[in-house]
Amino acid sequence: MLKDITLWQYFPGDSFIYKLDPRTKILATFIYIVAIFFAYDPASYAVLIAFAAFVIGASRLPIWLVVKSLKPVWLIAIITLLVHMLTFPGENVIYTWSVFKVTAEGLETGLKMCLRLILLLLFSSVLTFTTSPIVLTDGIESLLWPFKRIGVPAHEIAMMMTIALRFIPTLLEEMERIIKAQTARGADFSEGNFLKRLKGMLPILVPLFVSAFRRADELAIAMEARCYRGGEGRTAMHSLIYKARDYASLAIVIILAAVEAFMRWGA
Amino acid sequence: MIYLENLKHVYKDAEGDDITALDEIDLHIKKGEFVAIIGANGSGKSTLARHLNALLLPDGGKCTVAGLDTADEKNLWEIRQHVGMVFQNPDNQIVASIVEEDVAFGPENLGIEAGEIRRRVDKALAAVDMADYAKHAPHLLSGGQKQRVAIAGVLAIAPECIVLDEPTAMLDPKGRREIIKTVKKLKEDYGMTIVYITHNMTEAMEADRVIVMDKGKISFSGTVREVFSRVTDLEKLGLEAPLAAKIALELRKAGAGLKKDIITDEELAEALCR
Repeated sequence: MLKDITLWQYFPGDSFIYKLDPRTKILATFIYIVAIFFAYDPASYAVLIAFAAFVIGASRLPIWLVVKSLKPVWLIAIITLLVHMLTFPGENVIYTWSVFKVTAEGLETGLKMCLRLILLLLFSSVLTFTTSPIVLTDGIESLLWPFKRIGVPAHEIAMMMTIALRFIPTLLEEMERIIKAQTARGADFSEGNFLKRLKGMLPILVPLFVSAFRRADELAIAMEARCYRGGEGRTAMHSLIYKARDYASLAIVIILAAVEAFMRWGA
Repeated sequence: MIYLENLKHVYKDAEGDDITALDEIDLHIKKGEFVAIIGANGSGKSTLARHLNALLLPDGGKCTVAGLDTADEKNLWEIRQHVGMVFQNPDNQIVASIVEEDVAFGPENLGIEAGEIRRRVDKALAAVDMADYAKHAPHLLSGGQKQRVAIAGVLAIAPECIVLDEPTAMLDPKGRREIIKTVKKLKEDYGMTIVYITHNMTEAMEADRVIVMDKGKISFSGTVREVFSRVTDLEKLGLEAPLAAKIALELRKAGAGLKKDIITDEELAEALCR
């Protein structure tokens, strides 16, 4: 049952977007998100939607997969829409129901908010679908490198992510084993109210934590035996190299953001 | 290659009392030798292993690896490049979530350039017959395969000696055979020095020399034949002698005129047929 949890949304495949450097994809996602907040009138939203559609098309990801990634937010999107619709002050009342007034302005703002949320999620899901966790970690480490001088532990953050990703399946497997062992001893995890069930988790979490600490200790010794001494003087087997397509892609996204900014403030 | 002189190791237990884990250890491990260290639980064999690459430092006596004193902190990283170490639980020594990335971990730590790392990784994976699994996720491999990845991770550092601390304790019989096969290959084809810690006697029988530990001291040592024919001494230390040696001993006691150094089933069968 636990194995069904998608730990990472990486979807193996091959296309222009897959081939991009992870740093390009991370930066492009950031710039696109900024552009989303520049958007103002329907035309600027249309540009954003067109660009997202273009990127999803270029990624060659199956449409159902991308649409599925919206699952966790559709409820939030609807609530956002309703709240804006019912509470936004406006002049043009289009519908009245007891104390609630739906205004044209409210409807418009609500729709915009929803659209922002959906676009944000769609675009960032392309990043996680097309970049394997290990490559993404490398990208983050490389992007954080310049901030080392102000005390950002770039290498340590990346190493922690790498180890976390490595141990998530191992610990999930262990958790399943503990659940089975405790069930065999008569533990019941499916009955009772919320508090009772929460209490029932304790016999799972305690052994899991104890074992995680033991593993961490052994891993630290093994890493030391393999000459690990932090990020100082370390090299990488796969070094990240910016190619022409990375510069081109970044340029396109920056142009998009500039267009959005112009559409809002330029005229 | 490794010299231990009068080595002593003391640690504090939970009550704060001093416990002597190792005492008066004198041992010389020659280059290219396959040494097995056996002993009951708590006999100090894992502690001894951890002195061989400076994970632990002597509280008395001296440990020298390739001419470098382990007590000198300056030598630490060089020693660990000479002596690699494989641990019991394969899950807890694999760092990355892709096999080849994990094998590259050691050379990356040493600051080797990318092309050379690539060559070392490919060579190490080929040496343990795991080249086909380079892009796999370690948690989907079998125990024996994971342990072979761990061995490859050590090989990529290019050590002359590899210390294996009960590498088969958590594996099924198939995994055990894979590891023994790999270790023998490393000795024969790559001329590596092997220190193999185990309490499985069948595995220890593959070694050139067997060292028997008891209560932090070397009880006795010798060739496989010398050690395993001492059935009563082994049993006194809570170790299981090979079945053939035990049967031969009982038959001798009952008056059969058998040689004293029978240790394998074949030798016993041959002696009995005569």
